Amino acid sequence: MRATLLTTALLLGAGAAALPAQTLTNFSVSRQFHGEVHLVADIEYAGGTLHVGAGAPGSLYAMKLAYDAERFEPVSAWDAGRTAVTLGLRSRKDGTMGVNTERAKQDATITFSPQADLALTFTLGAAQSVVDFGGLRLASLTLQTGASQTEVRFSKPNTMRCTLAAFSAGAAELTVRGLGNSRCDRVTFEGGVGSVLLDYTGAWQGDAALDAKLAVGGLTLRIPRTVGVALTTEQFLASFQPQGFSRQGNRYLSTNNATAKRHLDVALTTSLGGVTVEWVD
Amino acid sequence: MCRADRLLVAAGLLVLIASPAHAAGPSDFRAAHPLPQAVPPAPQGGLTVSIRDLSAPAKLEPLLARALRESSSPGFAVTVPGGEARVGDFSIGSGESREGDVLVINGDADLYGRLTGNLVTVDGDITLHPGAYISGSVLAYGGEVQDAGGQITGEIQTLGAADSTQRPATSTGTTLPPIMHALRNVAGLAGIFLTLLGIGFGLVLLGKPNLEIISDTVTHTFGRSFAVGLLAQTLAIPTFGVLILGLILSVVGILLVPFAAIAFVLVLLVAILAGALAVAHAIGETYTRRRMAQGVLMGSPNSYRYVLTGLAGILLTWVGWAAFGWVPVLGWIAFGAAALVTWMLMTVGLGAALLSRLGLAGHFAGRFIAPETLTDEYLWATPQFGVPAARRPGQHKTPPPVR
Repeated sequence: MRATLLTTALLLGAGAAALPAQTLTNFSVSRQFHGEVHLVADIEYAGGTLHVGAGAPGSLYAMKLAYDAERFEPVSAWDAGRTAVTLGLRSRKDGTMGVNTERAKQDATITFSPQADLALTFTLGAAQSVVDFGGLRLASLTLQTGASQTEVRFSKPNTMRCTLAAFSAGAAELTVRGLGNSRCDRVTFEGGVGSVLLDYTGAWQGDAALDAKLAVGGLTLRIPRTVGVALTTEQFLASFQPQGFSRQGNRYLSTNNATAKRHLDVALTTSLGGVTVEWVD
Repeated sequence: MCRADRLLVAAGLLVLIASPAHAAGPSDFRAAHPLPQAVPPAPQGGLTVSIRDLSAPAKLEPLLARALRESSSPGFAVTVPGGEARVGDFSIGSGESREGDVLVINGDADLYGRLTGNLVTVDGDITLHPGAYISGSVLAYGGEVQDAGGQITGEIQTLGAADSTQRPATSTGTTLPPIMHALRNVAGLAGIFLTLLGIGFGLVLLGKPNLEIISDTVTHTFGRSFAVGLLAQTLAIPTFGVLILGLILSVVGILLVPFAAIAFVLVLLVAILAGALAVAHAIGETYTRRRMAQGVLMGSPNSYRYVLTGLAGILLTWVGWAAFGWVPVLGWIAFGAAALVTWMLMTVGLGAALLSRLGLAGHFAGRFIAPETLTDEYLWATPQFGVPAARRPGQHKTPPPVR
């Protein structure tokens, strides 16, 4: 019996020694800024932690990755004709069997030039993402996220007008802060099951519109008291607490709507979702 | 502890200490660079490394690692289509210009002049000095790129391990050594086995009667269980769709949609899991009873043993794949065979779980006599060894009337 145990220990020791410590591979890619006026960037990120923000002026884009090379591969494709780049991390299809413990440790930092007009598209997998558009020239934004935890910030006012910011979240926890800084004419949101916060604080420089469609989940709108809000809602078995609104037909108007300098038009379509409006000073 | 035991422990420790924790990669050889020299092109069928397209460096990595490994061997040759390969440090002087891709193995690249093409270093750094111009991309595999004022029209890439003491050369799944591949597969199988074993023991502890009924259903109605399992797999999604649609159309039922969806998925998962464990139980029970019938002492035959034995039996079908999964054709065959057998067994289990209503009904479990009917009166009235049936006499054999 004892010999069996010792032999087992020996075999386990040999096995443990033979298995390498799981490590992450480093990959970096960047491109110098050569006066490009605009950049179309498509970011695919399958898993891990992602940070996106403004980079050095001399760099058009840069990405630094630490990834599990046995299950993932970096993506970096440049299309000179469109001035477009695809960056990120893609899942391999020939991964070995076992629990993926390295995914959580994967980390990526992607930065863009603060001088080029950006049209950004994000497709996020099981990722934990912090995206800060402060200091960037954001022309448009599309963000699709599945089962992820994503925080989008506009920490500084966008230095150009943004036509559209489209968010689509499956079973995700999505937080968008500082939408007032985004200078986006229109924000759309489509949500499945999850918790979403759209925070409209920031330096408003024009009116804005929000088109939100929510299936099952909770949507919180955080809106400055100085902004007048007109809210149209189509709801089916959904709860909506119209605090600070007066009802006119199927529209809800904030009490300051007539006097406010900036306005937000909200169109809400919900089935089983709960919508809450928070007023902030 | 006797001397032999001590020796065994010492041997184990030695194995732990002495075993290489990583395979050789670029940084492992990074001592002194060899003398700069050009590398001749390889003959037909030899090593070819194309660095014309650097958009997928991870796919290029195995070739670069191979070039590095072979670079120290005499007669080393490599073909770089549309360019050249060099070993040792490399530089392009100020005012000098060069056309074509350049692959630098085991050396640094210093650029002052112009390069029309891509530049790749393996186990070396790239330095772009002021005035340097590259109309292409650069990649440093196992090194760094230092931009001191040069101009690059393409991308600047670096690829290497996070910790220089660990394994860049084996970072892709394709170059994983066979023993590592096998050990990883074995570890994955062991994890699945232990998880299923834990759930199985829990099921025996908390729901033994249900597990036994499903297990008996597997044993007594194998073919029917397989057919029902197959049907269930085919109809699962349409049934789910009809259920949700029905709830939505009933308007009032819309509120139940999330609960119904969750309940449906849960019931299906429980049926699959309980069915799989019941199959393991049935395999284990059959095996144990046969061994005991042969006179082998098996300890106490109980459901825990049955589940353990059965799961081990199912796991055996995957051993071939775990050991030879890295062999191109054999690995695929082993995987396909193991997957097919497992799928068939799970289909039978799912069918048995459904036939027995998750172990609540024993109609198909070979339990023809309900326990409540096994009273003394019933047993007294019913002969246990069968009744010799009287043959009904045929019409033609009717005895003639008595005169």
